[in-house]
Amino acid sequence: MDHILSLLVFFPALAGMLGFIVKKENIKVYGITVATIEFVLSLILWLVFDPSNGGFQFVEFIPLIPNYGINYYLGVDGISLFIIILSTFITLVGLISLNIEKNLKNMIISLLFLEMTMVGVFVALDAVVFYIFWELSLVPMLYIIGYWGGELRVYAAIKFFLYTFFGSLIMLVGMLFLAYLYYLATGTISFAIPDWHRLILPYDYQIWLFLAFFLGMAIKVPMFPFHTWLPYAHGQAPTIGSVILAAVLLKMGTYGFVRFLLPIFPDASVALIAPIAFLSIVMVIYTAMVAYAQEDMKQVIAYSSISHMGVIVLGTFAMNVEGIAGSIFLMISHGIVSGALFMLVGNIYDRRHTKLLSEFGGLASVMPKYATIFGIVLMASVGLPLTIGFVGEFLSLMGIYKISAAYAFLGGTGIILGAAYMLRVYKLAFFGPLTNEKNKNLPDLNWKELTSLVSLVAVIIWLGVNPNPVLKPINASVESMLQLMEKKAITKEAKDIFAHNKVELEAK
Amino acid sequence: MEKYLLIALFSPLVGSLFAALFGAKPKRLLTGIVTSALLFVSLISSLILLVHIASSDDIVRVKLFDWITVGSLNIPFGFVADQVSVIMMVTVTTVSALVHVYSIGYMEHDKGFNRFFSYLSAFVFSMMVLVMSDNFAGLFIGWEGVGLCSWLLIGFWYHKKDETRDINPSISPSWAANEAFIMNRIADLGMLLGLFLIYWHVGSLQYDVVFAHVDLLNIGLVTLIGIFLFIGAMGKSAQFPLHTWLADAMEGPTPVSALIHAATMVTAGVYLVVRAFPIYSQIPDIGFFIASLGAFVAVFAASMALVNTDLKRIIAYSTLSQLGYMFVAGGLGAYWIALFHLMTHAFFKALLFLGAGNVMHAMNDELNIFKMGGLHKVMKYTAILMIIASLALAGIYPFAGFFSKDKILEVAFDSQHYILWFMLWLGAGMTAFYSFRLIMLVFFGEERYKKYGFHPHEAHWYMLLAMAPLAILAIIAGFFEESFEHFVTKILPEYHFHVHGIVTVALIGVTTLIALSGIAFAIYKYSKGGFSEKWKEHPIYKLLYNQYYIPIIYEKVFTEPYKELSKIAWKELDLRVVDATVDFIANVVYKSGFAGRVVQSGNLSKMLRWMVIGLLVLIVLVIVYSPVR
Repeated sequence: MDHILSLLVFFPALAGMLGFIVKKENIKVYGITVATIEFVLSLILWLVFDPSNGGFQFVEFIPLIPNYGINYYLGVDGISLFIIILSTFITLVGLISLNIEKNLKNMIISLLFLEMTMVGVFVALDAVVFYIFWELSLVPMLYIIGYWGGELRVYAAIKFFLYTFFGSLIMLVGMLFLAYLYYLATGTISFAIPDWHRLILPYDYQIWLFLAFFLGMAIKVPMFPFHTWLPYAHGQAPTIGSVILAAVLLKMGTYGFVRFLLPIFPDASVALIAPIAFLSIVMVIYTAMVAYAQEDMKQVIAYSSISHMGVIVLGTFAMNVEGIAGSIFLMISHGIVSGALFMLVGNIYDRRHTKLLSEFGGLASVMPKYATIFGIVLMASVGLPLTIGFVGEFLSLMGIYKISAAYAFLGGTGIILGAAYMLRVYKLAFFGPLTNEKNKNLPDLNWKELTSLVSLVAVIIWLGVNPNPVLKPINASVESMLQLMEKKAITKEAKDIFAHNKVELEAK
Repeated sequence: MEKYLLIALFSPLVGSLFAALFGAKPKRLLTGIVTSALLFVSLISSLILLVHIASSDDIVRVKLFDWITVGSLNIPFGFVADQVSVIMMVTVTTVSALVHVYSIGYMEHDKGFNRFFSYLSAFVFSMMVLVMSDNFAGLFIGWEGVGLCSWLLIGFWYHKKDETRDINPSISPSWAANEAFIMNRIADLGMLLGLFLIYWHVGSLQYDVVFAHVDLLNIGLVTLIGIFLFIGAMGKSAQFPLHTWLADAMEGPTPVSALIHAATMVTAGVYLVVRAFPIYSQIPDIGFFIASLGAFVAVFAASMALVNTDLKRIIAYSTLSQLGYMFVAGGLGAYWIALFHLMTHAFFKALLFLGAGNVMHAMNDELNIFKMGGLHKVMKYTAILMIIASLALAGIYPFAGFFSKDKILEVAFDSQHYILWFMLWLGAGMTAFYSFRLIMLVFFGEERYKKYGFHPHEAHWYMLLAMAPLAILAIIAGFFEESFEHFVTKILPEYHFHVHGIVTVALIGVTTLIALSGIAFAIYKYSKGGFSEKWKEHPIYKLLYNQYYIPIIYEKVFTEPYKELSKIAWKELDLRVVDATVDFIANVVYKSGFAGRVVQSGNLSKMLRWMVIGLLVLIVLVIVYSPVR
């Protein structure tokens, strides 16, 4: 168990390398087997994880360049645990539903490599290791979009790559400077994130460093106004690319917020709540409107992703256990739900080779299973209670309510606008008379598609009814993080917020 | 007793899941029978609980497991059967069980037979969660659950296409379903904010904890909580201005209208106000606002029912109007009376809708009452049942509506809100008139349907049998008034009347008088062939017929601008401004890269020249920034 994290990180990549010598006919089975083993490993990690311990567990530490404080340093806590499981789960489900013919072997190897980078980002406790995995994750995605994508694939892939890469570089500068500040404070250089967590920085430095990190991560989220790469990437990416992009890669940004921004710069985080909440609210409302106007089914989902990410950011900057734990839960649930939605769009694209809403209508009568599953996932997306989508949204909005009722109200309009654009899609695609001749004989979902979708639906219902197994470890880690932040806070504003950010009985 | 609580709660869910197994398959009668049987199981369990609670005053609580535990928030799946919720349970399961049986006949030729029963039972489950939960979050689960089932059932005939408002005022089932869902979501946001406010100031969403703390909270806060929760109630109970969805919801199959959009779901808002009485009794000003809005809706909705020609829409407006009555009672602090009217209304309004279902069946889904007439000859039993329901609705002694509605008027008068009383009194007259206008046009007079080639027939015996218990309840439920009051006021506050004796009798007399005149006027007018066609040109008629133009105003003010704005946000803002800026920056970098290529041309003399320029620049920089100057 001591090296379970290293195993989790490198097993898919090593197995992927071996994939080159596997026969073409067997590569799919091979890929699914590897992903299954990886998924089981991540479940074992959950099993042996101590949910009451809010700190890092299964820590591995191997000095790499000790003089510069760069080490191979891994660990997992409640915040990262479920995002890791989400990554391995989505990769597995995505592989099962994969139906690409062209150069399948390269696709599967890319996916396994991508899986390594995703898990790597979430277990890294050393900023350099984190950064390496963060950047490496771009490479397989660039390849997936650029090779298997649609007509504009090269433009979309390069836009995706350069835009996020540009943001990451600024973040890298921030990291280097932070390590230098650590050196000034302690006399040794360190890139270890837990070390940084303990570092108390002057307010001015906090603001500038916060902005550097924030920019890199905000592009990944993507926050308004840095979001325009996403619709292109989704529009051109093959289904599997969109699934992984929406489900996991975007979460790297919000995970970064929780892992870096809040605990390292608590005062700057508090000081910047208002502008960030403003951006998030714009994200929620504005992209929900843009989603409503879309003519292409996949673009609706793409924009809806941005809108939901806005609620996640609001929850993160609520600075209380309810909000932050809710936002982490929402990362998981949005991963499952958006992954499922992109898969569903992929299913219909495979059949009709179009995603335009005007091409459909009345599908509920020819594809009842498809319509049912789409309906359930849709309801999770609009946050109906007892589906996975409700818990995170409810807690995130509840958290931000403590900061400001107006933020909660404006962010909460997402539940109305979300219903508006999703129900519009459902009405246009599934309801009404079946008029288009091409749709009259569409086959319903086959067993392969059903397997992956039903497993997602099972998670949607299970974690909607019983979210506590996931919430408890998250809760423990968030609580200890908040204690740390409260201890570190130097400005009066931050101290006030941390001291009062809990239930207070107001007497007459 | 915990056992019965769980059986009452979960048997509809079991039925729903069972029917769902056959969802897309051809009709199986079994699904209808099994779900109905399970509903009766649920009904019997509820009755057992009722008897138990009535005899022992023992409140039954069950906690299944924790749902959400984060920070100091702990929401369990907790259920309670107390005097209030057990009344709701019995009402809901009674109507649901009968509607299920009725639906076996009503939906017999429908392709979606199995699917229908799955949805309908799922609705009952959600409704049970709504009324039985012991905390606000559980209530919200049921609240959204009934919203989902309502969406599924309004849009049940999803394959119909969109029409213009002239042809079908509800446009299409799927349109109406989405309208209902989105409009309810607007209200739900208010309710969510109410829950957040409660949580951050009390630290719990459990009813007993919250209500015990209400006294400690400052009054501004309680007012705000009351407003937020009532916004939620306005959506579910379709109060103005969130009322338009209810009439459009009539696109659903008629049993759905009877169960969801008359008897149960739409009364959830009233239930919420009654349940949260410790909050509302602290804030009489908000209560007065609720009552005023209720009185307004009572008249407003009744006025639209006066002229409508659509069988189901008339009854829908009548539901809206009666919900207004309930809110008057709730707002003025007469919680038990609100609950009492909720119960009697559930019985007679469900009966009325099921009767309308029989008529629609007989008339091949025709809804225009001017194409009917004289149907009592072929549909004797349906006619009798609907007349019973209409008498109850009009508030004629000894029918149930008389007792409950009259009490509400008494409360309005007694609390010296004479204007409210007058509005309700007027509403009572209008109710009597439109109810009997409908009866006259459908069942009596000239047999106009023959012109249109209809061949009406009476409904199946078991459909009529399913209606019979409702008819009996519509007749006798009023006589339980005293025991009902005694039972529920163990939790709810009593309402103490100040006026007694002769005033009360006079009030009853005046109300009965206007109701009887309404009926008499309708019978007189429509036995003589009704109003002349001239009226249809009158602006007031047009105003009422077009629902005060509110749906069109909403479309012009909200829906269409939102659509336009969304398009602008996408095409003008997102593509032209935000994305174009990104591409512009990228292009500048590209272009300057190209332009900068000249320095690396490989031509030695050119490169030397650039070197000199570079040196000069460096020297200038040194001079400008030199520390020694």
